[in-house]
Amino acid sequence: MIEDRAAADGLEPDVVEADTAPKKPAPYRLLVVAILLLTLLLLPLGRPVLGSYNYIILLVTNTLMWVAMASSWNILGGYAGYISLGHAVFLGIGGYVAAVPLFYYDVSPFLTAVVGGLVAMAVGLVAGLITLRTRGPAFIISTIALLFMFLLIFEQIDYFGGTAGLSLPIVPLPRDWLKAPFYYAMLIAAVGSILLSYRVAHSKFGLGLRAIAEDETKAEVAGVPTRFYKILAFALSAFWVGFVGAMWGYSLSFVRPTLFFTIAISAQMVLMVIIGGRGSVAGPVVGAILIMTINEFSLIQFGASEINIVIAGALLVTVLLFFPLGIVGTLRSRSWLPAFLDWD
Amino acid sequence: MTEYLQVAIFGLLLGGVYALFASGLTLAFGVMRIVNLAHAVFIVASAYIAFFAFEHLGIDPLLSIVFIMPLMFVFGVGVYMALFSRIEGSARYVEMTVLLTFGIAIMIEGLLGWRFTGIFRQAAPGYLTEAFFIGDFLVPTGQFYAAMLSLVLLIGLWAFLRFTRTGYGIRATMQNRAAAQLVGVNVRRVSAISFGISAALAGASGAMMSYLFPFFPFRHWQWIALLLALVVLGGMGSLKGAVVGALILGVASSLVVDQIGPGWGPMVFYAALFVILLVRPRGLFGKEVTA
Amino acid sequence: MALLEVRDVDAGYGAGPNILKGLSLEVEAGKSYCIIGPNGAGKSTLLKVISGLLPTRAGEVTFRGVPFNGARPDQVLAAGICLVPQEQAVFAEMSVRENLVMGGYLVKDRGLIKTRMDRVFELFPILAERASLDAGKLSGGQQQMLTLGRALMIDPDILMLDEPSLGLAPQVADQIFATIRDLEDLGITIVMVEQNAVRGLQLADWGVVLDLGIVRFEGPADTILEDQRIRELYLGKAVDAGDAP
Repeated sequence: MIEDRAAADGLEPDVVEADTAPKKPAPYRLLVVAILLLTLLLLPLGRPVLGSYNYIILLVTNTLMWVAMASSWNILGGYAGYISLGHAVFLGIGGYVAAVPLFYYDVSPFLTAVVGGLVAMAVGLVAGLITLRTRGPAFIISTIALLFMFLLIFEQIDYFGGTAGLSLPIVPLPRDWLKAPFYYAMLIAAVGSILLSYRVAHSKFGLGLRAIAEDETKAEVAGVPTRFYKILAFALSAFWVGFVGAMWGYSLSFVRPTLFFTIAISAQMVLMVIIGGRGSVAGPVVGAILIMTINEFSLIQFGASEINIVIAGALLVTVLLFFPLGIVGTLRSRSWLPAFLDWD
Repeated sequence: MTEYLQVAIFGLLLGGVYALFASGLTLAFGVMRIVNLAHAVFIVASAYIAFFAFEHLGIDPLLSIVFIMPLMFVFGVGVYMALFSRIEGSARYVEMTVLLTFGIAIMIEGLLGWRFTGIFRQAAPGYLTEAFFIGDFLVPTGQFYAAMLSLVLLIGLWAFLRFTRTGYGIRATMQNRAAAQLVGVNVRRVSAISFGISAALAGASGAMMSYLFPFFPFRHWQWIALLLALVVLGGMGSLKGAVVGALILGVASSLVVDQIGPGWGPMVFYAALFVILLVRPRGLFGKEVTA
Repeated sequence: MALLEVRDVDAGYGAGPNILKGLSLEVEAGKSYCIIGPNGAGKSTLLKVISGLLPTRAGEVTFRGVPFNGARPDQVLAAGICLVPQEQAVFAEMSVRENLVMGGYLVKDRGLIKTRMDRVFELFPILAERASLDAGKLSGGQQQMLTLGRALMIDPDILMLDEPSLGLAPQVADQIFATIRDLEDLGITIVMVEQNAVRGLQLADWGVVLDLGIVRFEGPADTILEDQRIRELYLGKAVDAGDAP
């Protein structure tokens, strides 16, 4: 008789215990958010009390802009794991969708900003239909091509102003309140994109995206409509970027191809989300705020030199190699994540 | 008709050069599944080396490959060992290589910009402005030399892969990495060497770029967009595909430039990319796409 | 002393749980072993660990008394252990002949490569016929023969076969099994994982049942085949279907 070693060793098959402990909601995190929102809402009215008012408003406006873009990028790049390196294309599309009617027909971008977002979505949809048929690097490459293609188109066609772009009329408001509407527009964009990110994360759609990110074949086999979801994610990730583009162009009083359709903007988006923590709701926000802070600091220290670019690249490489989960992800993996950052 | 043929000839010469530019890129993907977004910045950096060698030491750009290629080879092996060997075998490897090389590209661009500023450079050896005739057709000398050198280098690459033991190892790794390990190929060593070769090819490309195309640090993004589109068209990982794709796109973009306008040349690349993704995503000579 | 010793090995994939949990096994020279067991028991994992494709988390693998401490697959091969994997392992764009040359990648002596290639062509006449054909164009069974032939190019001390008959039509599987019998007769030490447990055990000298991450049962192959408990647990369906020739 042959010996049964399992019986001798007393082995039994593993039983996997389900993690049944429910997550405790932390009500105070809503309080933190409420306080933050209130502060942001009231900030532009604080002119009498704030020193360097213009600088602060500009800084916050820009930060809100990047929060919106980073959170949007995260929907495809973080949740679904599909890296878009050409996302700046949507910024440009939104910018021109608002700029052209303004330039030729005096239509206010405050009306067309949403259209900018929608057109960006449409472009994302069409592009996604073509490029999200395959997995692997083809998609990433196609996003770069998309960006450069649009850059080329807008540079070559005179109706869009060619390489010089279009010079836009200034907002018809008193000088002191010139920046305020853009501040609020970007605030809307930031809040909107964070809300969108949150809703996606907590939906069946979001679950499907995460499944795709983990193992697309398995997701397909499990019945996830992968192609539809990917395309939808790409389109959704374009909306707020387009909206922001429309507003940004107006706030600058010009749109120019090389300013909008530039890989530097894509690079910054990627850096922010990777550092902050991909695939989480709070990650892109944290990343955006952090990078903006670092940028300001290094601008003050080094001036506007190429060194900033080197630092950005080095930062990306370092985080990728040593902290691939980003700030939020790393904190979560060590159970150090404070509740007001935990929205997943 | 002759006008079209003339334009086609320009296109072929250009395509020959594009083939060399893209060969290193597709090799890196084929052997190591690395999508090297920094490939074009390697080319631009090498262009700077060739440019300054020409300006300060009077070394002909095409001859400078004699030292640029070995230099870049060592650089490539170093970068591979320092960075890529770390992430070998990690999940979502291809995506990691994209992001990693993206960061590297940004870093090198920043360094180049800091050292050399953003002004346009272009070396001007004598043959840049010369031309000769073959029958009725004008052939710019500088482009001819570059295309010929490309041809020589590509043939050399092919021969190396086809006839040497290391070449066998590289081809085996390209075709089936796990099986290559199991027949005794030291896959890490092969990968490092391949990345070195890829960088060396970028080095030779840079020497050509130094006089063929005006360059400055930020330019590499335009190039990488073109080269990536080219590689996808030809089939990622296929050297044959890179050559064929380059020639096709070289001729097509020349015709577009001639007929429509100088700024529209690159459009051909992007259009070709989207068309091939619609029609045959694996590219002309690529393998069936797996995750 | 056993040719190959696996002692108390733990192993798993990525950050996942241990698949092998303190597994021990001895392989003696000249014998052939058939490893059976349920899916997920760790049969392929064991072969991967021995061949260096997967690192051990605990325990050690010793070959000829020398432990493999994180040896790379090419080092394991140079030592004399060759794995013929489950997955498609031919170099599709190389010819049959080139594939065999690749099998001899570590062999320095060109003459030896020639001799061994001739031997492979003798064992597999079909490969000789298709010597210049691209390996990707061969049928499944022929590719399997090619992978076997390629393994012989290095004249391994231990030949490990991961599911040699997987996905092959019955007649083709028969051919493969016949070839394995020929290799046994040549005195090569063989360790095979076979889903077709009955055929595998009929072929081998020694049977090993892998379950729950360890070697649960082992003994002479025919005894394992006859054992009532083992038949019920692992061989039930195959035996009822009358798989024995």
